Amino acid sequence: MEEVKKEGKDFSMDIDIRPNRAKDCLSHKGVAREIGAILNLKLKPEIIKIKETKENAEKLFKVLVKDKKACPRYNARLVKNVKVSKSPEWIQERLKSCGLRPINNIVDATNYIMLETGQPLHVFDMDKIAGREIIVRKAKMGEKITSLDNEKYDLDGNILIIADRESPLAIAGIKGGKKAEIDSKTKEIVLEAANFNQQSVRYASKQIGLKTDSSLRFEHGIDPNITKISINKAAYLIQEIAGGEVYAGIIDVYPKKISPKKINLDLDYINSLLGVKVSRAETENILKRLEFITKRIPGNKLKVTVPTFRLDVSIQEDIIEDIGRIFGYLKVPSIFPLAEIAPPKRNNEVFWEDFTRDVLKEAGFNETINYSFISQKDLEIFGLVGDSDILELENPLSTDFKYLRPSLIPNILKNIEKNQKTFKNIKIFEFGKVFRSPRTETKMIAGAVIGSDFYEVKGAVEFLFNKSGIKGAEYKNCKATEKGIFIPEASSEIVINGDQIGFLGEISQQILKKLKIDGKVVAFDLNFEKLVKLSSEQREYSPIPKYPPALRDLAVLVPKTVTVKEVADKIRNSGKPLAGNVELFDFYEGKELPQGMKNLAFRVIYQSEEKTLNAGEIDQAHRKIIDSLEKESGWQVRK
Amino acid sequence: MEIIDLKTLKIEANKEIDNTADLKSLDDIDKKYLGKKGELTRILRSLQILPKEKRANMGKAANEVKNVLKQKIEIKRKEIGKDVIIADKERIDATRPGKAPIQGHLHILTQTRREVEEIFRSMGFEVAEGPEVENEWYNFDALNIPKNHPARDVWDTFWLKSAKERLLLRTHTSPVQIHYMETHKPPLRIIVPGNVFRHEATDQRHEFQLFQVEGLMVDKDISVPNFKAIVGEFFRRFFNKNMGFRLRPDFFPFTEPSFDIGMTCLICEGKGCQLCKGSGFLEVAGAGMVHPNVFKASGVDPKKWKGWAFGFGLDRLAMMKYKINDVRLFRSGDMRFLNQF
Repeated sequence: MEEVKKEGKDFSMDIDIRPNRAKDCLSHKGVAREIGAILNLKLKPEIIKIKETKENAEKLFKVLVKDKKACPRYNARLVKNVKVSKSPEWIQERLKSCGLRPINNIVDATNYIMLETGQPLHVFDMDKIAGREIIVRKAKMGEKITSLDNEKYDLDGNILIIADRESPLAIAGIKGGKKAEIDSKTKEIVLEAANFNQQSVRYASKQIGLKTDSSLRFEHGIDPNITKISINKAAYLIQEIAGGEVYAGIIDVYPKKISPKKINLDLDYINSLLGVKVSRAETENILKRLEFITKRIPGNKLKVTVPTFRLDVSIQEDIIEDIGRIFGYLKVPSIFPLAEIAPPKRNNEVFWEDFTRDVLKEAGFNETINYSFISQKDLEIFGLVGDSDILELENPLSTDFKYLRPSLIPNILKNIEKNQKTFKNIKIFEFGKVFRSPRTETKMIAGAVIGSDFYEVKGAVEFLFNKSGIKGAEYKNCKATEKGIFIPEASSEIVINGDQIGFLGEISQQILKKLKIDGKVVAFDLNFEKLVKLSSEQREYSPIPKYPPALRDLAVLVPKTVTVKEVADKIRNSGKPLAGNVELFDFYEGKELPQGMKNLAFRVIYQSEEKTLNAGEIDQAHRKIIDSLEKESGWQVRK
Repeated sequence: MEIIDLKTLKIEANKEIDNTADLKSLDDIDKKYLGKKGELTRILRSLQILPKEKRANMGKAANEVKNVLKQKIEIKRKEIGKDVIIADKERIDATRPGKAPIQGHLHILTQTRREVEEIFRSMGFEVAEGPEVENEWYNFDALNIPKNHPARDVWDTFWLKSAKERLLLRTHTSPVQIHYMETHKPPLRIIVPGNVFRHEATDQRHEFQLFQVEGLMVDKDISVPNFKAIVGEFFRRFFNKNMGFRLRPDFFPFTEPSFDIGMTCLICEGKGCQLCKGSGFLEVAGAGMVHPNVFKASGVDPKKWKGWAFGFGLDRLAMMKYKINDVRLFRSGDMRFLNQF
C-alpha cells in the first residue's frame, strides 16, 4: 500500500502491485479477491442482466483469427442503437481518480470494465468496418495506422493488428485506430475482449514506442478465461448507460482452451521451507480462500488445482509462498541455522584492499569514492578521444557519465578542484575498478596530492610497499608516459621484477589548467591486482647488532644526469661487506656548484657482525669507496 | 653594626627558607632579601658611604651571603616544584585547542562495509566478489528473469555499446550468487559487497550508482526462521540496539517465497512518522528462499539443497546509522563530508 487518499466521499488506495501479480491484480476485482482471501471474506456475486435481441451476432458479423499463437482467444459482441454521449458522473469520477480521461459513454464503459476485471477491451463502430469482418493478423511490411489520438505508426511483419478486409483498425492490445472510431453518430458497435500473447504485445509496444493501460496488462499476461465475463459486463454496462440493444450470442474464437494447472504439494516441504508447522487442515483452508481446489493424495500430499487467473503459480514453491503469506511471516520464529562452525575462508584480495586503505590512511590520505564514469569532456582533457578501448554506454544518464572510467585519475583530480576552495593541502586516494574493452575490469589504487612534492608522494608509495612486504620496486625516470597525463621529466614508472606496476609523478600543467586547478599536483596510479600478488604478511626479526656501528659521511659532486641510485649502488658495491647501510641525507643543486653538477651527501654505516671495527679498518673501507667513486669520470668526492 | 646585621639577616633568611613549603612564599622570601628593594641589596647599597678597605671587606661578606642565599633558594625551589619554574612564554593556556595530528580518513561506505563484513564473518560468512560488467545471462536469465519479460523493466539498466555480446552494468549483486555456485559446492555462506548501477534520475534518496550487499546461505536444512535469526542478529549488532523488524511478502523472480524486510523506523521508533510514511517501518532489504530455477542455472540440485538470499543497500544503511540526509554526498568527493568520519 503506497497511499490512501480521500476522493469526495470515497477513498482511493494506491497499491504497489509486484510484477508476478500484475497478471491478476491490475484490477479492482483481483485486489478485492486478495483482500477477501486475507480477511477470509467472500466476494459478492456479480449481477449481469443482458436483454438480448433475437438476432444472433454470429450471423451478422465474422471474426477470423489468422495468428492463433499471438491471439489465443477473441470474443466479440454486437450492440445496436447506442446513444453516444457523456458518461454518468460516477463513471467519470471513478475513471479520473484512476488516471483515465473520460471520452464518451461507450469508450468509458470499456475502460471501466478493464479497471474492474483487468481485461482490456476495445470497441469499434460497426458501420466503419469494411465487409463486416474482423481479421486478426500480423501487419504487412510497410502498412501504417493512424491511432485514435491522430498519431501515425509504421507497422512491421511482427506486429499483430486487428483489421477489416481493407486496412488496420487497431494495434492489437495496444491502441485503437482512427478508422473505426466511435463518434457522436455511431449507432452499432462491435465490442472486443481478446487475449493477446504477452511477448507479442511487448514486442509491438517497444517497436512503436507506445505503452498504454492495455499494453501494460497484456505484457504481464492475462488469463484467457476472463474475456467472456468481461465482455458481458461491458455489454451490460453499455445497455444501462448508452441505451443499446445487445445482439444475442458471443462470437468466441478460442481454439485451444486453457485448463487449470495441477500441482502436487508436499506438506512436509511446506514445513521445511517455511520452518513452521502448518497443519493439513490449515493449508487446505488457506488454499480454499485463494480459490485453489485441493484433494488429499497419499504420502502426506495435496493435489492442488490452480485457478487459471493465477498465471504466476507454476511450481510447489509458488503455492508455499501463498501459504506463507496468508499464514503470516510474523508467526515465523527466529531460529539460528545448524551448520558447521568452520571459520570462513579469508578473501585475500579483500584483506589486502583493506590493508592498503589503512596504510594510506596512516600516511594521512583521505579516501574518496567516485562514480565509475567519466564525461565526454574528460576524454578530451585526458587525450583519450578515439581510444577504442574505452567502454561507452548505450544509454548514459547524461554526457557527464557517458564512459566507464579507464583510469581513477580524472575523477580524483576533479575532487581536488572541488576542494581547492576550502582546503590548501589535499591528500586523497581512491580504490576502485577501471574498465577496458571488451570487458576487462582492473582494481586500481590511485592518489593525488596538492601542496607537496614528488618525493613526499614517492615516500607514501614506498611506505605502502614497505608495509605490504613488497620488495624490489624500481623507479625509472619516464621518457614519455601514458597519453601525457604526467610530466615526463617529473614522473616515474614503477617496475617490480620487470613488470610495470604503475606510475608516479606530477600531473601535466595543461591538464591542471583545463581542470582549473592551481598549483602542482603529484599523483600515483598503481595496479592493485599486481600488487596483491607481491604482498606478503611475512615479517622476520633481524637481530640487533652486537657491535657498535661507525658512521661516515661522504659528499660526491656528480653531473645532474647521474641518478642517486647509480651513486648509492656504487657505494654499496664497493663498500662490501662492511658498509651495511647507505643513505642519502642531503641533496643540493645550486649556483655555488660548477655548471651542470649536483652534490649528493651520503651517510655510510659500517658494521661488522664479528667485532668492533677499529679506525684503521673503517678508513680502509671508506678509502675503497672513495677510490671507486673517483674512477668515474666527472665524479668528484668532496673532502 | 653592619656585620651583626648581616649575620642576623643570614640566620633569619635561612630560617625562613627552611620553614617555607610553597613557591609563593619562597618567591616572597627571594624578593624580601634578594630583590631590587631587598635587604641585601639595601646593605650593599649602603656600603657606598664606607671607607674603601672596609667597603671591600663588607662587600665581599655581603656578596657571599647573597650567593649562599641565592643557591639555597634555588635548591629549595627545586625541592618544592621541580620543573614548574618556566619562562613566561612557555606557560600554557590549557583551554587553547590542541594541534590535530595529520590524519587520513576512510570513506564512511568503506567503514560501513567493514562493519557489515565483520558481523557476517563472525557468523561464518565468506566475502565474495564478482564483475561489475555483466552479460544478460548472469544479470537476468540465470536469476529467473527471462527475456521479453516485464519483470526485467523493474531493473532499469545501463547498457554498453558492445560489438559482440550484449553487455550491461550489473543492476544488483545477485549475479555473484550464480558465479559463486558455479565454482563452489554447497554448503556455503557468502556475502557479496559491491557496486550496482540503476538507470534512474537522482535525488536526495536515489542514486544511479550504489553499494549493495548480497547474502547467500545454502545448506541441506535451511528455512525462513534461520534467515530471520541471522538478519535479526545483524540488525542488532549493526545498530547496536534491539531493532525490531518484520518480513512482508514481496516478489523477486530469483526467490520464492520472497519478502521485504522492514526495520523499525529509527526516527519514530515504530510510532509512525513522515520518513516511514506512518507505517513505523523502513524497508531496508529484499530477501527470500532461493528459487529452484536459480539453483538449476548454477548447477546445484534443488532437490538436495535449499537456501536463502538477501540484498540490501549499504548507502541506505549508512544513511540511517549516521543520519546522512542525502545519498549523493557519498560520491561527491567533498572533503567537508569525507573528513567527518
